[in-house]
Amino acid sequence: MKHDFLDKYAELDSAIHSLDPRTKIVSFFCFIFLVISTQPTKFLNFVLYFLLIFGVILASKVPLRFVFKRSLVIIPFVLLVAIFIPFLKEGEVAGSYNFASLHLTVTYDGLTILFNVLSKSWLSVLSMLALASTTKFPELLKGFEKLGLPRVMVMIISFMYRYVFVLGDELMRMKCARDARSFGGNSKWHIKTIGNIIGMLFIRTYERGERIYIAMVSRGFSGKIKILDDLHVKKLDLCFMVFFLTILTIIWTVL
Amino acid sequence: MHIPDGFLSTPIWVSMWVIALLIIGYAVRRTNEKLGERHVPMMGVLAAFIFAVQMLNMPVAGGTSGHMLGGVLSAIFLGPFAATIVMSTVFAVQAIFFQDGGITALGANIINMGLIGTILGYYIYQGIRKVVGGEKGILIGAGVAGWTSLMLGAISCALMLGTSGVAPLGVALPAMAGIHMFIGVIEAGLTVVIVGMVLKSRPDLMELQKI
Repeated sequence: MKHDFLDKYAELDSAIHSLDPRTKIVSFFCFIFLVISTQPTKFLNFVLYFLLIFGVILASKVPLRFVFKRSLVIIPFVLLVAIFIPFLKEGEVAGSYNFASLHLTVTYDGLTILFNVLSKSWLSVLSMLALASTTKFPELLKGFEKLGLPRVMVMIISFMYRYVFVLGDELMRMKCARDARSFGGNSKWHIKTIGNIIGMLFIRTYERGERIYIAMVSRGFSGKIKILDDLHVKKLDLCFMVFFLTILTIIWTVL
Repeated sequence: MHIPDGFLSTPIWVSMWVIALLIIGYAVRRTNEKLGERHVPMMGVLAAFIFAVQMLNMPVAGGTSGHMLGGVLSAIFLGPFAATIVMSTVFAVQAIFFQDGGITALGANIINMGLIGTILGYYIYQGIRKVVGGEKGILIGAGVAGWTSLMLGAISCALMLGTSGVAPLGVALPAMAGIHMFIGVIEAGLTVVIVGMVLKSRPDLMELQKI
């Protein structure tokens, strides 16, 4: 497993990458909150939100192809909503279609709902991409901790981060062994082999967890973890935050 | 079932966040009391386990693929509250790093895909296990709990979308329930095979302290 499968492109070098994680967390979370609380009929607002976040992504030098491909994760849900549009009968009719014996009516209300969820969810995904692909996982975690995420959660997540690679590799080795020994099979057989692989992984994981704990205790672990505090708010952070949040509020309130 | 941002109305996502945070907070306190300093490395490694399991895609009908959620599975091994922490951690990391589910919708997603399985599913499993008894009871309980919790999660997801005014409830509910009847069979099948495998090779792991 590649070490950057979680925070791909976080190693790049740009102004956005060098910002303090707290700056980015606050800015991009505010972005999401304001976007989803915007009225669905304000089309211009959504265009401006897009330009703002797109500008940040451009400045971060993260490949646009990657960003757009990743942002497609919302598609299944958007399709789910799109399917229901003909069934939203109320409101002005935008067009009706006849497929064989099916009579489908598309209403403006339905289209507004589709536009609403599509734009809001896509913009939110873009802003999370801007956060995750410009910040290294440990740094982001440190930012969340400084912003008040409970210590226990921080420690659990940092353990998860360390071992997800080990376990992922272990799983891939088992999967590779299975593929080398077998081919095809029906879904019942798939469920059985995958079930056995996962069961084996659980046993190994549990044993590993105990070994890790013993190793930590023998090195003096007492339930507390000390983390170096090396986050600094720079001038650039203040500039970015003031700039980003001002534009955001202007779009949200004035327009 | 990972709901993105923008699909849920404000009252719904706020109340789901509050419920999820209350349960997670309680779960953290409970595991800390019972496991003490041991719980941190163990929860972390097991969260990595669920994360890895969710990366293992398997073919579902129609050329699509899916992965298991593992809420009931982790609750069977660890107990409802330890499993709650593990599942919530995984969903939070997925929301931020894979954009699988939104930030405002995270509370709702944790409830639908995690807590319903780890808490409700766990008690369904325990009930059946006690009534049927023996190894058979464990396996039947695991299967029924796995299927039921996935169905309940899908129904709750449809209810949330319906009350948010995004989809008409009369269509969303049967559609979501219908699709997940089949996905639930896979989740249940995998849960049964995994529990059966652990029962056979390391039965002592089934006797772990449940939290």
